[in-house]
Amino acid sequence: MNAIVIQLLGSAVAVAAMVGIAAWARIPRPCPALDEAAAREILAVEYPDHPVGAVWLAADGAGAIARSGDLALVIGRLGDSWVSRDLPWDRALASEIRGGRVRIRTADSGAPRLDLAVSGVNPWPPEHERDLAA
Amino acid sequence: MTLDPIKPAFDPVTLAIPLFVITIVGEIILGRLRKAKAAYEPRDTATSLMMGLGSNIAGLLTGAVVIAAVVGVWQFRIFDIPMTAWWAWVAIFFLEDLTYYWFHRLSHERRFWWASHVNHHSSQHYNLATALRQTWTGGIAGTWLLWLPLALIGFPPAMIAIQKGISLVYQYWIHTEAIGKMPRWFEAVFNTPSHHRVHHARNPRYLDANYAGILIIWDKLFGTFIPETDEEPPRYGLVKNLGDFNILRVAFHEWIGIGKDLMTARSPREVLGYLFGPPGWSPDGSRETSKTLKAKWLARQEAAKEPAPPLAAE
Ligand SMILES: [Zn+2]
Ligand SMILES: [Zn+2]
Repeated sequence: MNAIVIQLLGSAVAVAAMVGIAAWARIPRPCPALDEAAAREILAVEYPDHPVGAVWLAADGAGAIARSGDLALVIGRLGDSWVSRDLPWDRALASEIRGGRVRIRTADSGAPRLDLAVSGVNPWPPEHERDLAA
Repeated sequence: MTLDPIKPAFDPVTLAIPLFVITIVGEIILGRLRKAKAAYEPRDTATSLMMGLGSNIAGLLTGAVVIAAVVGVWQFRIFDIPMTAWWAWVAIFFLEDLTYYWFHRLSHERRFWWASHVNHHSSQHYNLATALRQTWTGGIAGTWLLWLPLALIGFPPAMIAIQKGISLVYQYWIHTEAIGKMPRWFEAVFNTPSHHRVHHARNPRYLDANYAGILIIWDKLFGTFIPETDEEPPRYGLVKNLGDFNILRVAFHEWIGIGKDLMTARSPREVLGYLFGPPGWSPDGSRETSKTLKAKWLARQEAAKEPAPPLAAE
Protein backbone atom coordinates (compact mmCIF):
# COMPACT_ATOMS: atom_id res chain seq x y z
CA MET A 1 0.00 0.00 0.00
CA ASN A 2 2.76 2.40 1.00
CA ALA A 3 4.62 1.73 -2.23
CA ILE A 4 1.53 2.66 -4.23
CA VAL A 5 1.06 5.93 -2.35
CA ILE A 6 4.72 6.81 -2.87
CA GLN A 7 4.45 5.97 -6.56
CA LEU A 8 1.35 8.14 -6.97
CA LEU A 9 2.89 11.06 -5.08
CA GLY A 10 6.07 10.73 -7.13
CA SER A 11 4.01 10.67 -10.32
CA ALA A 12 2.10 13.79 -9.25
CA VAL A 13 5.37 15.65 -8.66
CA ALA A 14 6.65 14.46 -12.04
CA VAL A 15 3.43 15.65 -13.72
CA ALA A 16 3.84 19.11 -12.21
CA ALA A 17 7.47 19.23 -13.34
CA MET A 18 6.65 18.15 -16.91
CA VAL A 19 3.84 20.72 -17.20
CA GLY A 20 6.24 23.36 -15.89
CA ILE A 21 8.85 22.44 -18.49
CA ALA A 22 6.20 22.46 -21.25
CA ALA A 23 5.18 25.98 -20.15
CA TRP A 24 8.80 27.12 -19.97
CA ALA A 25 9.59 25.81 -23.46
CA ARG A 26 6.81 27.87 -25.08
CA ILE A 27 6.37 25.58 -28.08
CA PRO A 28 2.63 25.74 -28.83
CA ARG A 29 1.45 25.74 -32.43
CA PRO A 30 1.24 29.19 -33.93
CA CYS A 31 -2.40 30.28 -33.57
CA PRO A 32 -2.61 33.98 -34.49
CA ALA A 33 -5.74 36.13 -34.14
CA LEU A 34 -8.18 35.48 -36.95
CA ASP A 35 -8.65 37.70 -39.94
CA GLU A 36 -11.41 36.95 -42.40
CA ALA A 37 -9.24 34.84 -44.71
CA ALA A 38 -7.97 32.70 -41.83
CA ALA A 39 -11.50 32.21 -40.49
CA ARG A 40 -12.70 31.13 -43.93
CA GLU A 41 -9.83 28.68 -44.24
CA ILE A 42 -10.73 27.03 -40.93
CA LEU A 43 -14.44 26.96 -41.77
CA ALA A 44 -13.70 25.35 -45.14
CA VAL A 45 -11.89 22.53 -43.34
CA GLU A 46 -14.49 22.14 -40.58
CA TYR A 47 -17.56 22.53 -42.82
CA PRO A 48 -16.47 21.54 -46.32
CA ASP A 49 -20.05 21.04 -47.53
CA HIS A 50 -21.41 24.34 -46.20
CA PRO A 51 -21.16 27.47 -48.38
CA VAL A 52 -20.12 30.34 -46.12
CA GLY A 53 -21.39 33.91 -46.52
CA ALA A 54 -19.88 36.92 -44.82
CA VAL A 55 -17.98 36.27 -41.61
CA TRP A 56 -18.30 38.07 -38.26
CA LEU A 57 -15.03 38.21 -36.33
CA ALA A 58 -14.69 38.40 -32.57
CA ALA A 59 -13.12 41.65 -31.40
CA ASP A 60 -9.93 39.90 -30.24
CA GLY A 61 -9.71 37.59 -33.23
CA ALA A 62 -10.23 34.56 -30.98
CA GLY A 63 -13.37 33.41 -32.74
CA ALA A 64 -15.76 33.90 -35.62
CA ILE A 65 -19.38 33.32 -36.55
CA ALA A 66 -20.44 32.69 -40.13
CA ARG A 67 -23.86 32.16 -41.62
CA SER A 68 -24.54 29.20 -43.87
CA GLY A 69 -28.22 29.03 -44.77
CA ASP A 70 -30.16 28.49 -41.56
CA LEU A 71 -27.04 27.63 -39.62
CA ALA A 72 -24.50 29.63 -37.67
CA LEU A 73 -21.03 28.13 -37.92
CA VAL A 74 -18.96 29.13 -34.89
CA ILE A 75 -15.25 28.77 -34.24
CA GLY A 76 -13.48 29.65 -31.02
CA ARG A 77 -9.89 29.41 -29.84
CA LEU A 78 -8.90 26.82 -27.26
CA GLY A 79 -5.26 27.13 -26.26
CA ASP A 80 -3.34 26.94 -29.53
CA SER A 81 -6.14 25.23 -31.49
CA TRP A 82 -9.66 25.87 -32.74
CA VAL A 83 -13.00 24.34 -31.78
CA SER A 84 -16.05 24.55 -34.02
CA ARG A 85 -19.77 24.11 -33.45
CA ASP A 86 -22.94 24.92 -35.36
CA LEU A 87 -26.39 25.95 -34.21
CA PRO A 88 -29.53 27.46 -35.76
CA TRP A 89 -28.83 30.98 -37.00
CA ASP A 90 -31.79 32.40 -35.08
CA ARG A 91 -30.43 31.00 -31.84
CA ALA A 92 -27.01 32.49 -32.50
CA LEU A 93 -28.66 35.90 -33.11
CA ALA A 94 -30.57 35.61 -29.85
CA SER A 95 -27.53 34.53 -27.81
CA GLU A 96 -27.01 36.43 -24.60
CA ILE A 97 -24.27 39.01 -24.36
CA ARG A 98 -22.62 39.40 -21.00
CA GLY A 99 -19.31 40.99 -19.98
CA GLY A 100 -18.64 42.04 -23.57
CA ARG A 101 -18.94 38.51 -24.87
CA VAL A 102 -21.59 36.76 -26.90
CA ARG A 103 -22.24 33.47 -25.15
CA ILE A 104 -22.83 30.77 -27.73
CA ARG A 105 -24.37 27.70 -26.10
CA THR A 106 -24.86 24.31 -27.70
CA ALA A 107 -26.54 21.27 -26.20
CA ASP A 108 -23.69 18.78 -26.64
CA SER A 109 -21.70 17.72 -23.61
CA GLY A 110 -18.34 18.17 -25.36
CA ALA A 111 -18.34 21.93 -25.93
CA PRO A 112 -21.29 23.65 -24.36
CA ARG A 113 -19.65 27.09 -24.15
CA LEU A 114 -18.04 29.34 -26.73
CA ASP A 115 -17.74 32.97 -25.57
CA LEU A 116 -16.66 35.44 -28.24
CA ALA A 117 -15.60 39.06 -27.61
CA VAL A 118 -17.89 41.76 -28.95
CA SER A 119 -16.87 45.39 -29.52
CA GLY A 120 -18.52 48.60 -30.71
CA VAL A 121 -16.86 48.24 -34.08
CA ASN A 122 -18.29 44.78 -34.70
CA PRO A 123 -21.37 44.46 -32.53
CA TRP A 124 -23.34 41.26 -32.14
CA PRO A 125 -25.85 40.71 -33.60
CA PRO A 126 -24.30 42.30 -36.67
CA GLU A 127 -25.98 45.54 -37.71
CA HIS A 128 -26.34 44.49 -41.30
CA GLU A 129 -27.44 40.95 -40.87
CA ARG A 130 -28.05 40.80 -44.62
CA ASP A 131 -24.30 41.13 -45.15
CA LEU A 132 -23.84 37.81 -43.39
CA ALA A 133 -26.40 35.93 -45.44
CA ALA A 134 -24.93 33.12 -47.44
CA MET B 1 13.43 -20.45 -12.06
CA THR B 2 9.89 -20.30 -10.72
CA LEU B 3 7.48 -17.57 -11.64
CA ASP B 4 4.27 -16.87 -9.78
CA PRO B 5 1.52 -17.62 -12.29
CA ILE B 6 -0.92 -15.23 -10.62
CA LYS B 7 1.01 -12.26 -9.25
CA PRO B 8 3.18 -10.67 -11.97
CA ALA B 9 6.88 -10.60 -11.10
CA PHE B 10 6.99 -7.03 -12.45
CA ASP B 11 4.73 -4.40 -14.00
CA PRO B 12 6.17 -3.11 -17.28
CA VAL B 13 4.17 0.14 -17.04
CA THR B 14 5.43 1.01 -13.54
CA LEU B 15 8.99 0.24 -14.60
CA ALA B 16 8.58 2.51 -17.61
CA ILE B 17 7.42 5.59 -15.66
CA PRO B 18 10.96 7.07 -15.41
CA LEU B 19 11.32 6.48 -19.16
CA PHE B 20 8.05 8.36 -19.77
CA VAL B 21 9.30 11.36 -17.79
CA ILE B 22 12.74 11.47 -19.40
CA THR B 23 11.44 11.12 -22.96
CA ILE B 24 8.66 13.71 -22.54
CA VAL B 25 11.19 16.21 -21.21
CA GLY B 26 13.49 15.20 -24.08
CA GLU B 27 10.77 15.73 -26.69
CA ILE B 28 9.95 19.17 -25.26
CA ILE B 29 13.61 20.22 -25.26
CA LEU B 30 14.17 18.94 -28.81
CA GLY B 31 11.08 20.88 -29.86
CA ARG B 32 12.34 23.99 -28.09
CA LEU B 33 15.73 23.67 -29.83
CA ARG B 34 13.87 23.09 -33.12
CA LYS B 35 15.71 19.78 -33.53
CA ALA B 36 12.44 17.86 -33.79
CA LYS B 37 8.82 18.49 -34.66
CA ALA B 38 7.01 18.79 -31.34
CA ALA B 39 4.26 21.11 -30.13
CA TYR B 40 3.15 21.35 -26.50
CA GLU B 41 0.33 23.46 -25.07
CA PRO B 42 0.84 23.45 -21.28
CA ARG B 43 -2.85 23.13 -20.37
CA ASP B 44 -3.29 20.34 -22.91
CA THR B 45 -0.19 18.63 -21.49
CA ALA B 46 -1.52 19.00 -17.94
CA THR B 47 -4.82 17.41 -18.98
CA SER B 48 -3.08 14.49 -20.69
CA LEU B 49 -0.80 13.77 -17.76
CA MET B 50 -3.54 14.13 -15.16
CA MET B 51 -5.69 11.72 -17.16
CA GLY B 52 -2.77 9.29 -16.99
CA LEU B 53 -2.45 9.69 -13.24
CA GLY B 54 -6.21 9.37 -12.76
CA SER B 55 -6.27 6.26 -14.93
CA ASN B 56 -3.70 4.74 -12.62
CA ILE B 57 -5.96 5.43 -9.62
CA ALA B 58 -9.08 4.18 -11.42
CA GLY B 59 -7.14 1.01 -12.25
CA LEU B 60 -6.41 0.45 -8.55
CA LEU B 61 -10.14 0.66 -7.80
CA THR B 62 -11.30 -1.81 -10.48
CA GLY B 63 -8.09 -3.86 -10.61
CA ALA B 64 -9.12 -6.28 -7.87
CA VAL B 65 -12.30 -7.27 -9.71
CA VAL B 66 -10.45 -7.73 -13.00
CA ILE B 67 -7.73 -9.88 -11.39
CA ALA B 68 -10.34 -11.99 -9.57
CA ALA B 69 -12.18 -12.58 -12.87
CA VAL B 70 -9.02 -13.57 -14.74
CA VAL B 71 -7.90 -15.90 -11.97
CA GLY B 72 -11.42 -17.32 -11.71
CA VAL B 73 -11.56 -18.16 -15.41
CA TRP B 74 -8.00 -19.54 -15.34
CA GLN B 75 -9.20 -22.19 -12.80
CA PHE B 76 -11.15 -23.69 -15.72
CA ARG B 77 -8.23 -23.54 -18.17
CA ILE B 78 -8.12 -25.91 -21.12
CA PHE B 79 -4.32 -26.26 -21.25
CA ASP B 80 -1.56 -25.89 -18.68
CA ILE B 81 0.73 -23.34 -20.26
CA PRO B 82 4.07 -22.98 -18.45
CA MET B 83 5.27 -19.41 -17.91
CA THR B 84 8.88 -20.47 -18.42
CA ALA B 85 8.45 -21.81 -21.97
CA TRP B 86 9.70 -19.51 -24.75
CA TRP B 87 6.94 -20.64 -27.11
CA ALA B 88 4.33 -19.59 -24.57
CA TRP B 89 5.64 -16.01 -24.72
CA VAL B 90 5.66 -16.07 -28.53
CA ALA B 91 2.08 -17.35 -28.52
CA ILE B 92 0.80 -14.77 -26.06
CA PHE B 93 2.61 -11.99 -27.94
CA PHE B 94 0.50 -12.70 -31.03
CA LEU B 95 -2.74 -13.63 -29.25
CA GLU B 96 -2.68 -10.65 -26.88
CA ASP B 97 -1.98 -8.32 -29.81
CA LEU B 98 -4.90 -9.81 -31.75
CA THR B 99 -7.11 -9.33 -28.69
CA TYR B 100 -5.93 -5.74 -28.45
CA TYR B 101 -6.83 -5.11 -32.11
CA TRP B 102 -10.43 -6.21 -31.57
CA PHE B 103 -10.70 -4.38 -28.24
CA HIS B 104 -9.51 -1.22 -29.95
CA ARG B 105 -11.77 -1.64 -32.98
CA LEU B 106 -14.81 -2.22 -30.74
CA SER B 107 -13.79 0.85 -28.74
CA HIS B 108 -14.12 2.98 -31.88
CA GLU B 109 -17.03 1.36 -33.66
CA ARG B 110 -19.53 1.08 -30.77
CA ARG B 111 -20.52 4.07 -28.67
CA PHE B 112 -20.68 2.34 -25.27
CA TRP B 113 -17.00 1.46 -25.48
CA TRP B 114 -16.10 4.64 -27.35
CA ALA B 115 -17.39 6.56 -24.29
CA SER B 116 -14.50 5.05 -22.34
CA HIS B 117 -11.84 5.30 -25.07
CA VAL B 118 -12.73 8.75 -26.47
CA ASN B 119 -10.63 10.50 -23.84
CA HIS B 120 -7.44 9.10 -25.39
CA HIS B 121 -8.35 10.89 -28.63
CA SER B 122 -9.55 14.14 -27.09
CA SER B 123 -6.30 16.10 -27.45
CA GLN B 124 -5.69 18.20 -30.54
CA HIS B 125 -2.01 17.51 -29.95
CA TYR B 126 0.00 14.43 -30.78
CA ASN B 127 3.02 14.11 -28.56
CA LEU B 128 4.39 11.71 -25.96
CA ALA B 129 2.17 13.26 -23.29
CA THR B 130 -0.90 12.37 -25.38
CA ALA B 131 0.08 8.71 -25.01
CA LEU B 132 -0.56 8.96 -21.26
CA ARG B 133 -4.09 10.37 -21.75
CA GLN B 134 -5.65 7.08 -20.66
CA THR B 135 -9.19 6.08 -19.77
CA TRP B 136 -10.74 6.31 -16.31
CA THR B 137 -13.79 4.25 -17.17
CA GLY B 138 -12.34 1.20 -18.93
CA GLY B 139 -13.04 -0.98 -15.89
CA ILE B 140 -16.72 0.00 -15.98
CA ALA B 141 -16.99 -0.37 -19.76
CA GLY B 142 -15.87 -3.97 -19.24
CA THR B 143 -13.56 -4.27 -22.23
CA TRP B 144 -11.18 -6.27 -20.02
CA LEU B 145 -13.60 -9.19 -20.52
CA LEU B 146 -12.05 -9.60 -23.97
CA TRP B 147 -8.82 -10.82 -22.36
CA LEU B 148 -10.55 -13.60 -20.42
CA PRO B 149 -10.35 -16.14 -23.29
CA LEU B 150 -6.54 -16.03 -22.95
CA ALA B 151 -6.94 -17.24 -19.36
CA LEU B 152 -9.43 -19.87 -20.46
CA ILE B 153 -6.94 -21.19 -23.02
CA GLY B 154 -4.52 -21.50 -20.12
CA PHE B 155 -2.17 -18.52 -20.14
CA PRO B 156 -1.38 -17.70 -16.49
CA PRO B 157 -2.90 -14.41 -15.24
CA ALA B 158 0.56 -12.97 -14.52
CA MET B 159 1.62 -13.64 -18.10
CA ILE B 160 -1.45 -11.88 -19.49
CA ALA B 161 -0.84 -8.88 -17.21
CA ILE B 162 2.82 -8.63 -18.23
CA GLN B 163 2.07 -8.89 -21.95
CA LYS B 164 -0.69 -6.26 -21.64
CA GLY B 165 1.82 -3.99 -19.94
CA ILE B 166 4.46 -4.60 -22.63
CA SER B 167 1.90 -3.64 -25.30
CA LEU B 168 0.98 -0.42 -23.49
CA VAL B 169 4.64 0.54 -23.10
CA TYR B 170 5.29 -0.25 -26.78
CA GLN B 171 2.45 2.02 -27.81
CA TYR B 172 3.88 4.89 -25.80
CA TRP B 173 6.77 5.83 -28.07
CA ILE B 174 4.68 5.95 -31.25
CA HIS B 175 2.78 9.04 -30.01
CA THR B 176 5.16 11.54 -31.58
CA GLU B 177 5.54 13.79 -34.58
CA ALA B 178 9.30 13.84 -34.06
CA ILE B 179 9.71 10.59 -36.01
CA GLY B 180 8.63 10.63 -39.66
CA LYS B 181 8.80 7.11 -41.06
CA MET B 182 10.67 4.11 -39.74
CA PRO B 183 12.56 1.79 -42.15
CA ARG B 184 10.22 0.25 -44.70
CA TRP B 185 10.38 -3.31 -43.29
CA PHE B 186 9.52 -1.95 -39.85
CA GLU B 187 6.55 0.06 -41.14
CA ALA B 188 5.31 -3.10 -42.88
CA VAL B 189 5.17 -5.20 -39.72
CA PHE B 190 4.96 -2.92 -36.68
CA ASN B 191 2.70 -0.15 -35.50
CA THR B 192 4.68 3.09 -35.90
CA PRO B 193 4.36 6.83 -35.24
CA SER B 194 3.18 7.25 -38.85
CA HIS B 195 0.48 4.56 -38.61
CA HIS B 196 -0.75 5.78 -35.24
CA ARG B 197 -0.84 9.44 -36.34
CA VAL B 198 -3.43 8.28 -38.86
CA HIS B 199 -5.31 6.59 -36.03
CA HIS B 200 -5.44 9.87 -34.06
CA ALA B 201 -6.42 11.97 -37.09
CA ARG B 202 -9.86 13.56 -37.50
CA ASN B 203 -9.55 14.03 -41.27
CA PRO B 204 -12.45 12.07 -42.79
CA ARG B 205 -10.09 10.05 -44.98
CA TYR B 206 -8.25 8.75 -41.91
CA LEU B 207 -11.22 7.93 -39.64
CA ASP B 208 -11.58 4.45 -38.12
CA ALA B 209 -8.21 3.09 -39.21
CA ASN B 210 -5.06 1.51 -37.77
CA TYR B 211 -6.34 -0.11 -34.57
CA ALA B 212 -3.08 -1.99 -34.07
CA GLY B 213 -1.30 -2.41 -30.75
CA ILE B 214 2.19 -3.66 -31.56
CA LEU B 215 1.74 -5.29 -34.99
CA ILE B 216 0.12 -3.43 -37.89
CA ILE B 217 -0.48 -6.76 -39.66
CA TRP B 218 -3.96 -7.11 -38.10
CA ASP B 219 -5.18 -3.92 -39.80
CA LYS B 220 -3.85 -5.19 -43.10
CA LEU B 221 -5.49 -8.56 -42.51
CA PHE B 222 -8.89 -7.16 -41.51
CA GLY B 223 -9.02 -4.27 -43.97
CA THR B 224 -8.64 -1.30 -41.62
CA PHE B 225 -5.17 -0.14 -42.66
CA ILE B 226 -4.77 3.38 -44.07
CA PRO B 227 -1.26 4.76 -44.74
CA GLU B 228 -0.29 8.34 -43.88
CA THR B 229 0.11 10.44 -47.01
CA ASP B 230 2.20 13.57 -47.42
CA GLU B 231 -0.58 15.44 -49.26
CA GLU B 232 -2.81 15.37 -46.22
CA PRO B 233 -1.15 15.81 -42.84
CA PRO B 234 -3.25 14.47 -39.96
CA ARG B 235 -5.28 16.93 -37.92
CA TYR B 236 -5.61 15.49 -34.44
CA GLY B 237 -8.47 15.13 -32.01
CA LEU B 238 -12.16 14.39 -32.26
CA VAL B 239 -14.54 14.99 -35.13
CA LYS B 240 -16.12 17.52 -32.74
CA ASN B 241 -13.35 18.72 -30.47
CA LEU B 242 -13.86 19.46 -26.80
CA GLY B 243 -14.43 23.06 -25.75
CA ASP B 244 -12.10 23.18 -22.76
CA PHE B 245 -9.30 21.33 -20.92
CA ASN B 246 -11.45 20.17 -17.98
CA ILE B 247 -10.37 16.62 -17.08
CA LEU B 248 -13.87 15.73 -15.87
CA ARG B 249 -15.24 16.69 -19.27
CA VAL B 250 -12.52 14.64 -20.96
CA ALA B 251 -13.29 11.61 -18.79
CA PHE B 252 -17.08 11.71 -18.78
CA HIS B 253 -18.50 13.83 -21.64
CA GLU B 254 -19.50 10.92 -23.87
CA TRP B 255 -21.11 9.05 -20.96
CA ILE B 256 -23.11 12.21 -20.22
CA GLY B 257 -24.00 12.44 -23.90
CA ILE B 258 -25.28 8.86 -23.83
CA GLY B 259 -27.32 9.64 -20.71
CA LYS B 260 -28.89 12.72 -22.32
CA ASP B 261 -29.75 10.77 -25.46
CA LEU B 262 -31.28 7.88 -23.50
CA MET B 263 -33.61 10.36 -21.77
CA THR B 264 -35.06 11.20 -25.19
CA ALA B 265 -35.21 7.62 -26.51
CA ARG B 266 -38.74 6.57 -27.52
CA SER B 267 -38.27 2.86 -28.26
CA PRO B 268 -36.01 -0.09 -27.41
CA ARG B 269 -34.48 0.34 -30.87
CA GLU B 270 -33.44 3.90 -30.00
CA VAL B 271 -32.04 2.80 -26.64
CA LEU B 272 -29.93 0.13 -28.36
CA GLY B 273 -28.86 2.56 -31.08
CA TYR B 274 -27.74 5.23 -28.63
CA LEU B 275 -25.87 2.67 -26.52
CA PHE B 276 -24.35 0.30 -29.05
CA GLY B 277 -24.69 2.03 -32.41
CA PRO B 278 -21.64 3.64 -33.94
CA PRO B 279 -20.63 6.95 -32.31
CA GLY B 280 -22.85 9.66 -33.81
CA TRP B 281 -25.78 7.30 -34.38
CA SER B 282 -29.18 9.02 -34.25
CA PRO B 283 -32.69 7.70 -34.96
CA ASP B 284 -33.20 9.98 -37.97
CA GLY B 285 -29.58 9.86 -39.16
CA SER B 286 -29.25 13.62 -38.67
CA ARG B 287 -25.89 13.35 -36.88
CA GLU B 288 -22.59 12.53 -38.50
CA THR B 289 -20.90 9.15 -38.07
CA SER B 290 -17.48 8.12 -39.40
CA LYS B 291 -19.29 6.42 -42.25
CA THR B 292 -21.25 9.51 -43.36
CA LEU B 293 -18.18 11.73 -42.99
CA LYS B 294 -16.15 9.34 -45.12
CA ALA B 295 -18.90 9.10 -47.74
CA LYS B 296 -19.11 12.90 -47.99
CA TRP B 297 -15.35 13.13 -48.30
CA LEU B 298 -15.37 10.53 -51.09
CA ALA B 299 -18.15 12.40 -52.88
CA ARG B 300 -16.10 15.61 -52.74
CA GLN B 301 -13.08 13.74 -54.13
CA GLU B 302 -15.18 12.41 -57.02
CA ALA B 303 -16.72 15.83 -57.69
CA ALA B 304 -13.27 17.41 -57.79
CA LYS B 305 -12.14 14.85 -60.37
CA GLU B 306 -15.07 15.37 -62.75
CA PRO B 307 -14.77 18.09 -65.37
CA ALA B 308 -16.91 21.16 -64.70
CA PRO B 309 -20.36 20.89 -66.33
CA PRO B 310 -20.96 23.08 -69.39
CA LEU B 311 -22.42 26.47 -68.49
CA ALA B 312 -25.54 26.16 -70.62
CA ALA B 313 -27.29 22.91 -71.38
CA GLU B 314 -29.52 22.52 -74.43
ZN1 LIG C 1 -8.11 4.63 -30.48
ZN1 LIG D 1 -2.95 6.60 -29.24
